[in-house]
Amino acid sequence: MKLNIDGLLVYFPYDYIYPEQYSYMLELKRTLDAKGHGVLEMPSGTGKTISLLSLIVAYQTTFPLEVTKLIYCSRTVPEIEKVVEELRKLMDYYAKETGAKSNFLALALSSRKNLCIHPEVSSLRFGKEVDGKCHSLTASYIRAQRHSNPAQPVCNFYEEFDSVGRQVPIPSGIYNLDDLKDFGRRKGWCPYFVARYSILHANIVVYSYHYLLDPKIADLVSKELAKKSVVVFDEAHNIDNVCIDSMSVNITRRTLDRSQANVETLQNTINRIKETDAAKLKEEYRRLVEGLKEANVARETDIYLSNPVLPDEILKEAIPGSIRTAEHFVGFMKRFLEYLKSRLRIHHVVQESAPQFLKDIFEKVCIDRKPLRFCAERLRSLLRTLEIADIADFSAITLISHFATLVSTYSKGFTIIIEPFEDRTPTIANPVLHFSCMDPSIAIKPVFGRFQSVIITSGTLSPLDIYPRILDFRPVTVASFTMTLARTCLCPLIVGRGNDQVAMTSKFETREDFAVIRNYGNLLLEMSAIVPDGIVAFFTSYIYMENIVASWYEQAILENIQRNKLIFIETQDAAETSMALEKYQEACENGRGAILLSVARGKVSEGIDFVHHFGRAVIMFGVPYVYTQSRILKARLEYLRDQFQIRENDFLTFDAMRHAAQCVGRAIRGKTDYGLLIFADKRYARADKRGKLPRWIQEHLTDGSLNLTIDETVQLSKHFLRQMAQPFRREDQLGLSLLTLEQLQSEDMLKKIAKIAQQA
Amino acid sequence: MASLSEEVLLVVKRVRQRKQDGTLYLMAERIAWGPEGKDRFPVSHLYADIRCQKISPDGKAKIQLQLVLHTGESSTFHFANESTALKDRDATKELLQQLLPRFKKKANKELEEKNRMLQEDPVLFQLYKDLVVSQVISAEEFWANRLSLSSVEHSLSNDSKQEVGISAAFLADIRPQTDGCNGLRYNLTSDIIESIFRTYPTVKQKYAENVPHNLTEKEFWTHFFQSHYFHRDRLNTGQQDIFSECAKQDEKGLKSMVTQGVKNPMVDLLALEDKTLDEGYGTAAAPSTSNVTKTLRENSNCAIIKRFNHHSAMVLAAGLRRAEPCSDQTSETSSTDGNSRDSDFFQPPLKKVKLQEAIEYDDLQSDCRRKPISLNLKKSDRYSHGPVPLQSQPYTSSQDILNSIAVIQQEMKSYKPRLTQVMSSSAASSAITSLSPGGVLMQGGSQQTVNQLVPSDLQSELKHLYTAAGELLRHFWTCFPVNTLFLEEKVVKMQSNLERFQLTKLRPFQEKIQRQYLSANLTAHLEEMLQAAYSKFQAWQSRRMMRKT
Repeated sequence: MKLNIDGLLVYFPYDYIYPEQYSYMLELKRTLDAKGHGVLEMPSGTGKTISLLSLIVAYQTTFPLEVTKLIYCSRTVPEIEKVVEELRKLMDYYAKETGAKSNFLALALSSRKNLCIHPEVSSLRFGKEVDGKCHSLTASYIRAQRHSNPAQPVCNFYEEFDSVGRQVPIPSGIYNLDDLKDFGRRKGWCPYFVARYSILHANIVVYSYHYLLDPKIADLVSKELAKKSVVVFDEAHNIDNVCIDSMSVNITRRTLDRSQANVETLQNTINRIKETDAAKLKEEYRRLVEGLKEANVARETDIYLSNPVLPDEILKEAIPGSIRTAEHFVGFMKRFLEYLKSRLRIHHVVQESAPQFLKDIFEKVCIDRKPLRFCAERLRSLLRTLEIADIADFSAITLISHFATLVSTYSKGFTIIIEPFEDRTPTIANPVLHFSCMDPSIAIKPVFGRFQSVIITSGTLSPLDIYPRILDFRPVTVASFTMTLARTCLCPLIVGRGNDQVAMTSKFETREDFAVIRNYGNLLLEMSAIVPDGIVAFFTSYIYMENIVASWYEQAILENIQRNKLIFIETQDAAETSMALEKYQEACENGRGAILLSVARGKVSEGIDFVHHFGRAVIMFGVPYVYTQSRILKARLEYLRDQFQIRENDFLTFDAMRHAAQCVGRAIRGKTDYGLLIFADKRYARADKRGKLPRWIQEHLTDGSLNLTIDETVQLSKHFLRQMAQPFRREDQLGLSLLTLEQLQSEDMLKKIAKIAQQA
Repeated sequence: MASLSEEVLLVVKRVRQRKQDGTLYLMAERIAWGPEGKDRFPVSHLYADIRCQKISPDGKAKIQLQLVLHTGESSTFHFANESTALKDRDATKELLQQLLPRFKKKANKELEEKNRMLQEDPVLFQLYKDLVVSQVISAEEFWANRLSLSSVEHSLSNDSKQEVGISAAFLADIRPQTDGCNGLRYNLTSDIIESIFRTYPTVKQKYAENVPHNLTEKEFWTHFFQSHYFHRDRLNTGQQDIFSECAKQDEKGLKSMVTQGVKNPMVDLLALEDKTLDEGYGTAAAPSTSNVTKTLRENSNCAIIKRFNHHSAMVLAAGLRRAEPCSDQTSETSSTDGNSRDSDFFQPPLKKVKLQEAIEYDDLQSDCRRKPISLNLKKSDRYSHGPVPLQSQPYTSSQDILNSIAVIQQEMKSYKPRLTQVMSSSAASSAITSLSPGGVLMQGGSQQTVNQLVPSDLQSELKHLYTAAGELLRHFWTCFPVNTLFLEEKVVKMQSNLERFQLTKLRPFQEKIQRQYLSANLTAHLEEMLQAAYSKFQAWQSRRMMRKT
């Protein structure tokens, strides 16, 4: 249907529309008009993606000079592919309605592992290996060597692309990852580099967060993207953690040992080259003296990871003299490594700030701040000069150089924690140096600064005001949308007590309590008897789940559950969990029914949807607080309190509730879907917890479902499930939660729609 | 009631039923009990009626055996011969155990089925009367391929095919009970044993290897329950344990399952992340060498979790295993013939389907676009052409047909009527009249006249003749190509059946219509069909003779 969104003609590729989608588009339009940033929360399953795409594409076609590009960031590969497919649907609709083939170019970009078509390289299993192998076939000096030595293997796909691919732009259309590969195979071009090259002139780019947020990668990939772009972060409820991760470094003894080996290799290579080809080193030195930032002109294939600090922090100066010659630099690195080793040889926990660390290093080994800042640059230059083929082998020393650059660049927002052992095993020495970013706004700041509109959206962003605070930006729109429902297809219940009236909670003091564990078991057992098909249960942590499963096994609770359903359990091994997941779906599919025991914050809770019969009930055992004893977390909480005036408890609760909402939200993926959302902890009933749940869950949480016993839960669930089992037709929804174009245009409806969006 | 011809397999004296002494007879098809000195059997059950037998537990004062019937009734026999009671009972039990399964789902069910079919289908009943009652063909022949065709048989055979899945909790059902003197008793039923075997093929293998020669059945299961294999949460399986190998095999199986990876890309957690950074970046501490630091307790917890995943996967697989072989076979056979690729070609890859499913909002779309059920064709050529007789020269592929259609279309486009050379209108109209019903050329087709001329009773009789003849001819033609001895016999028999049919049914009918002065035309087609069959038979026979000589 064709919509009129505040004067903008929007093509929407469906015959019906949800009222909240209309409302969402209105808010989005307002944000784009104001050229500002926005925070929008709308439950998943209400067609957020298609609303976003429809509106922004319409905006792009109507105002091609205002918005030139859409950069759509999502978290997982399947998500990225889904977005592109939805876009394809929209574009097909455009073509059908307008009759003209649009000259839109949209493509997905992913790592080499997902795009490589080189027969040998693509068969490697790990992304790191693929990157390394690719580099060893495409680096400029490797290709230069081929001129003298034709036996030197290179990647034909890249050669082909390099010689012809750049002149001929990729024809307009929608390219998913597989389409890119097909295109590459047809032309004989490398899909990865085609995609990387094409994002510069593409109208829509879909890729993962890291390509924009991680400075090491963003500098390579997204450096030249136009300023007049709209950036969308979908599923952004975890964006602060992504930001923090992209700036943090951990150094263990193993890293140091491997770096040591790397340094030795570098030393030997330098000595060898000195004998044979001293001119090369001299040339590098000369260029460094001349103040060229990098000794060689870097080709796209040469850089493995770029500078870890943000572009505006990189010094535009010449590399200081003390590390200009190769030997000096290697010596410098050796000294730095020795220092780090000595720091790891401690018996008590040390926490210090970056300036303290710099002061100490200056006093102990006379390393200055300035050369440290150039470490990453200098190492890259050296690796290129030495023509190191397998750059992945040097990941350890690269990590150390990144640490050096980071620690000397940022004096605020970071902390250094050295732990001699893990908390759980105080007898076993396993020293780790955490260089931890505490301020997510550091990494995302350039994004907000550079692009005219940044939209942060997800199904669970409540409480909305916290994201602008921790990410430090001023949004022009902040809104939360509910899900209009013709029937209440979600049933949130808070179970606080067992049938024996013992309170159920995963509180630290009582989590080992026999009665609590038994009550949790009974809850699952009772639910397994009444819920059809799939049940997903989430625990607060992996260790907690292991313990509970073990004691359920001893108490024969699991045996009884097995009478009703098969049991699958998430493990720490991703491959094993994938298998369990697939079997779980198979068991739901063939009518046998199954239970998946999983962990909040785990991979399953973050990336897997349990649509329809794959998840008829979700049980959240306990409140998924993050492990509060962690020193990194404590440092971060302190920082949040001092810098943003966010109280520790507020942040912890916020964090726990967003994960709980994420977990239970996995089961509701649309208006035809239905599911029980069971919160099994009495603490959920408190106003401070409940108030932090997303609005679309809170709305259905009545006072009568706050502190239930297991029996009451079973009764309510039975009732709910029986109601939901009744046929649900379009006519039931029409006019309430589903609108035709005529209905949408009526005055009443527009008034109603205005209420859907709640401004924060 | 007791026919003397029955073979008596076992006679047990001094068996009480309802406090009355008597004798128990186990015969070929039934079990019967008669009171002492009398010649009639107040209790007599066909084996096929018996659902199961139950025996009193060892150590009870009364030694009894109970038979439960399908109807729900039961009769209890008390073995009262003091010295040999137990032996008698066991002998009876053993024999019954052998006999009962043979009669399960047998004869009378089939008979009922046949009865029902005849009652439900009047045409079939008529056919039955025409052919079987008048002894044109035997009843067996009549039912022979009738049953296999019928849907009833289908459901019946399906019934026996559809395996009952395994309860996930079958191990839990073996509730160990303390027997009072520091021991445990496990109750194993044949169902549970089967479940164990089906879920854990390795145990079955061990059983096959060991049981008759090395261990008794009882010892085997004792070992099983004592072994660490059963109690998987305890670690370090001892080497002397015969099941340690099973555990290793299971481990291997699990590993291979994991390395196989998943088919559905949406649940592949390994491919989820689009980040190729090394360990060392990020806040999450690297999972460095923590494997070593795991405590024993954690390890055992891990083992439990692994075991549950494995167990559930095995139970699921055991339920599906049945279905797999045949599907494998079809895929194998289909891949041997040339056109099989067709079916693969039309199925979009799994990933595409899953992606589409994931982005679909079915309530936003208007539902005029119903998803059609896709036809799974092995040979699409076959579907669009039907079988082509072999002798018809060069095989036309769909491409040829498409081409020729295109050619015809081309021709039609450039077609220009040659208006000067058309027929005169009078000639055309006369041709039309002669082709209309009643015209000169249309006298052969006398459908309407038959309706009016022939009385209704004759009509229905003719109909019956047609169905009967059709049935016989169907039997006859199904014998070709004659490639087995059985078919050879059958075709000869069918030929004689056809002749007999012509003699006993068709002739009298022909005479009857002649008596009524109707045209013999009525049966001409029937005769023709029979003649065609005869000539086919002749041809076949002469060829056979030639081959023999």
